[in-house]
Amino acid sequence: MKAIIILSALGLATMFVGVYNFKKALLPMILLGLLAVIGINTMEWNTNIHYYNDMLYFDNWAVSFTNLILAVSILVFLLSGQYFKKNTDHLEDNYSIIIFTIIGAILMVSYSNLAMLFIGIETLSISLYILAGSKKTSLASNEASLKYFLMGSFATGFLLFGIVLLYGASGTFHLHGIKDYVIENHASLPTIFYVGILLMMVGLAFKISIVPFHFWTADVYEGSPTLITAFMATVVKIAGFAAFLRLFFTCFSSITEHFVPILCILAVLTMFLGNITAVYQNNFKRMLAFSSISHAGYMLLAIIALKESSFIAILLYTAAYSVATITAFAVLLMIKAAHQENDSIDTFNGLAKRSPFMAFTLTIAMLSLAGIPITGGFFAKYYLFANTISAGYTWLVVLAVFNSAIGVYYYFKVIIAAYFKEGSEEKLSIFPAYQLVLIITAIATLLLGILPGLITEMM
Amino acid sequence: MIQNAWLIPLLPLIGFLILGLGNKFLTKSLSGIIASGTVLGSFIIAVTIFLGFLSGENKATTINLFDWINSGTLHISFSFLIDQLSMLMVLIITGVGFLIHVYSIGYMSHDEGFTRFFAYLNLFVFSMLLLVLGSNYVIMFIGWEGVGLCSYLLIGFWFKNQDYNDAAKKAFIMNRIGDLGFLLGIFLIYMTFGSVNYAEVFEGAKGFASGDSVLVVITLLLFIGAMGKSAQIPLYTWLPDAMAGPTPVSALIHAATMVTAGIYMIARSNVLYTLAPITQTIVLFVGLFTAFVAATIGLFQNDIKKVLAYSTVSQLGYMFVALGVGGYSSAMFHLTTHAFFKALLFLGAGSVIHAMSGEQDIRKMGGLKKYLPITYITFLLGTLAISGVPPFAGFFSKDEILALTIGPFSNIIFIVLSFTSVLTAIYMFRVFFLTFHSTFRGTEEQKHHLHESPATITIPLVILAILSTVGGFLGMPRIMSEHHFLSQYLAPIFEFSDLKSEAKAPSEFAEYTIIIVAVVVLALIVLWAMNRYIKKASVPPADDKQTPALRNLIYNKYYIDELYDAIIVAPINWFGKQFNNIIEIQMIDGFVNSIGKTVIWGGKTLRLVQTGAIGFYIFVMVAGIIAILLYNFIR
Repeated sequence: MKAIIILSALGLATMFVGVYNFKKALLPMILLGLLAVIGINTMEWNTNIHYYNDMLYFDNWAVSFTNLILAVSILVFLLSGQYFKKNTDHLEDNYSIIIFTIIGAILMVSYSNLAMLFIGIETLSISLYILAGSKKTSLASNEASLKYFLMGSFATGFLLFGIVLLYGASGTFHLHGIKDYVIENHASLPTIFYVGILLMMVGLAFKISIVPFHFWTADVYEGSPTLITAFMATVVKIAGFAAFLRLFFTCFSSITEHFVPILCILAVLTMFLGNITAVYQNNFKRMLAFSSISHAGYMLLAIIALKESSFIAILLYTAAYSVATITAFAVLLMIKAAHQENDSIDTFNGLAKRSPFMAFTLTIAMLSLAGIPITGGFFAKYYLFANTISAGYTWLVVLAVFNSAIGVYYYFKVIIAAYFKEGSEEKLSIFPAYQLVLIITAIATLLLGILPGLITEMM
Repeated sequence: MIQNAWLIPLLPLIGFLILGLGNKFLTKSLSGIIASGTVLGSFIIAVTIFLGFLSGENKATTINLFDWINSGTLHISFSFLIDQLSMLMVLIITGVGFLIHVYSIGYMSHDEGFTRFFAYLNLFVFSMLLLVLGSNYVIMFIGWEGVGLCSYLLIGFWFKNQDYNDAAKKAFIMNRIGDLGFLLGIFLIYMTFGSVNYAEVFEGAKGFASGDSVLVVITLLLFIGAMGKSAQIPLYTWLPDAMAGPTPVSALIHAATMVTAGIYMIARSNVLYTLAPITQTIVLFVGLFTAFVAATIGLFQNDIKKVLAYSTVSQLGYMFVALGVGGYSSAMFHLTTHAFFKALLFLGAGSVIHAMSGEQDIRKMGGLKKYLPITYITFLLGTLAISGVPPFAGFFSKDEILALTIGPFSNIIFIVLSFTSVLTAIYMFRVFFLTFHSTFRGTEEQKHHLHESPATITIPLVILAILSTVGGFLGMPRIMSEHHFLSQYLAPIFEFSDLKSEAKAPSEFAEYTIIIVAVVVLALIVLWAMNRYIKKASVPPADDKQTPALRNLIYNKYYIDELYDAIIVAPINWFGKQFNNIIEIQMIDGFVNSIGKTVIWGGKTLRLVQTGAIGFYIFVMVAGIIAILLYNFIR
């Protein structure tokens, strides 16, 4: 909770500092602020406080997901310094909107009331609509923003409709109230309640790009400024999945038979469509978009399993996925900073000769996304799949493993481009901040793979 | 002190790590000192523990380092068994190993891979120590594979020569065949006894009846492993080829230590073998056949190292014969003396090769006596020892094995083995006279370069020569001494086997006869060889000369290599080609590629769904929602 208050203050301060022309102080201030928020947030560990008549509930899951969101945001901010230097004059606006996005994300992982969930999602989404279009002169950026906005509002409609129906049936917005209602009326739940569940599912599925609500993903990822894409691909995923799991685990875990079969179908569709379409993409950002869809498909398995350990599975998976995705975008940004090229996978050609360090970190990231030991991606997948098998969905895991094998194809395409293809010979210099990010992500990826106990034991 | 026994293998491992990692930074002299120093350190520790065993202060001890595998019912600890048998082996490995390390400093001084060579050598010593110190079959297997790897690396040490690489591969592959047997044996041991620890396995085995079929299978499988490592028929052809490695390697790995691992393994498993008389008989005849065949091949070889290699195969056959008749301590005795004199002979040969600038053909040597006096004398002592001339080391150990073979199988074994002994003396004196006596037959340039080797080479020669001379007194026959030192020392290990097997000590009359006949025959052989190679100065014919059929057959090693090529290698290659063409390319590749093609086609097609038109996107979303709701209502 304190995290939300401090971040709001930080967001406002950012706007004013910008107005008074202290632009150089902006980034250090934000980074220090975020670090401080992580520290303060961590102090809420094991306190389990309900805030404001149970509107927000900071249990350990909320604290850990908040910290993950903040940590990933710090990495994005580290990349932003160089990126915004030439991409915008409205630095302070961009920064403060990103901070407000983070607040929305934190609300999504800590809500205890459907109204707060809605506010969180809307804070996150509206900020992102703006950020997607922040490259004002670019047609693609404008298109992305508009597409995202149109489809996002459409999905929000369903979410809101779902909330209303749940309220109509149970008479409460509180998660625990709904849970009690479900337990009391287990045998005779009204139809509007089921429809409410399904419509909420649709609304949330849109946010985490589950097929067939995924269409925005590729177009928006491709059109948005690359840094914003990196932010979207990571923070939105973390918040979306945490929110999804929080709602369904708390309220509906006793009536799984009403939505799990549908989730199974959606998971299979999502995995296959994401992976198979990614195979044919030549645009790196589009490929990552479809790869993010496929990862959403895997992560959906945790919600299907719907157990306490699903939280660990989602936490591990989003952590490993986010860290690797940030690496990929950082390398892409670095190459693009050197010379204005397109986002095609060919830009990685000969990277190993141009910058062995970047090629190496990129390889670790790709291996992690593909789920190869000893990276974090492997252990996260392992934990997720083991969790799903123990819940009795072995057939889903078989399909998921098959899909992982397809994934290897397009992730390795990047590694092959970096190491075995001839490209420009010109050496790439690397900004210190980017170097720092790459070192952190590489170490984090390996650490998650070698010592996953750091996270699993803590929980 | 005995609790510190884990240091023994650790020191060479440290040496290996330093040399292996610091390959580029260490000077030659420093690497030589590190490599020899670590082995010397191990030797000193081993001696103190050994003395403890002699004084009766040390008892057989298991040192448990850590639990290595703990999975279900499978518990394998990383632990060492320090007892009389393992310490004897450790002494040989570190003692002879140290001398050979010192020798290598001189021998390899001009080689660019000097540090790499010593790194491998230290790794070998470490693996070999692991092999003999392990307290269960799995640790032994790790060492077993480790020495196999080092053997491979060192045979192919001069890897720029493709023939040497082929020899290395051959050694490795042939050993792998044996290893498979060993591995299956370990599996069966675990299945039968529920443990791989020596103590538990042997205790369990004592509950079985003699000749139980499980024990027979286990012992046969282990013996297959021993056949590979100790170069017995039919898995012996790699050893002569292994002479491609540097000579110190031949001395250490392919004469004194690694090839005796099979002997050690069977001696260690003596309880199992004693309870499987059928296997013992098989061991006996394989050993006998190998001893004889290898000795005949040795008669006509012209490469000084090849002669010694076949001699090693033949001597290993002797040891297997001893194991086959239940004379475990006699086998260990011969193993010990053989380590001394065969290492000596190889190192002597190395000294000769060093002086001859790499020439190994004895037809091009001759008259080296005056140029290499120390090598000459030490080589002579080695020759006397291996030929079994009293009172040199080989006489006692060989005599003991011969005496054991009197009786069973109507003395056939005794007769063949004695004849083999005669052959041994013939080929050894042939090499000796051709190399050192008569006149020099090499080129003028070689003659110009002839020189005695440096001290690092000659000192190990002298020490080994002394050991080859007096080593036999470790075990005097009954008629000379009441006290057989080695067999008493090893008695606790072979207690069970000695009890089980019937007393078969030969009569005093037989022992006297053997000794007297041996001396007379040996004297005749020496006279004959002197007459042929010194007086008549006879030299073996050049390769292209026509020779009698039998001689030709033996000279070409009975065409065994060619036979293996024809009946094993060629069919396997044929199958490999067929499998590659039909199953791999047509079936598996076709299947795998079609999956890939389907996925790519799917990507190409599905990509088109992403039209970019929002109207279409929303239409699909709505269709999806309707489908979800419908699904729920229909259900």
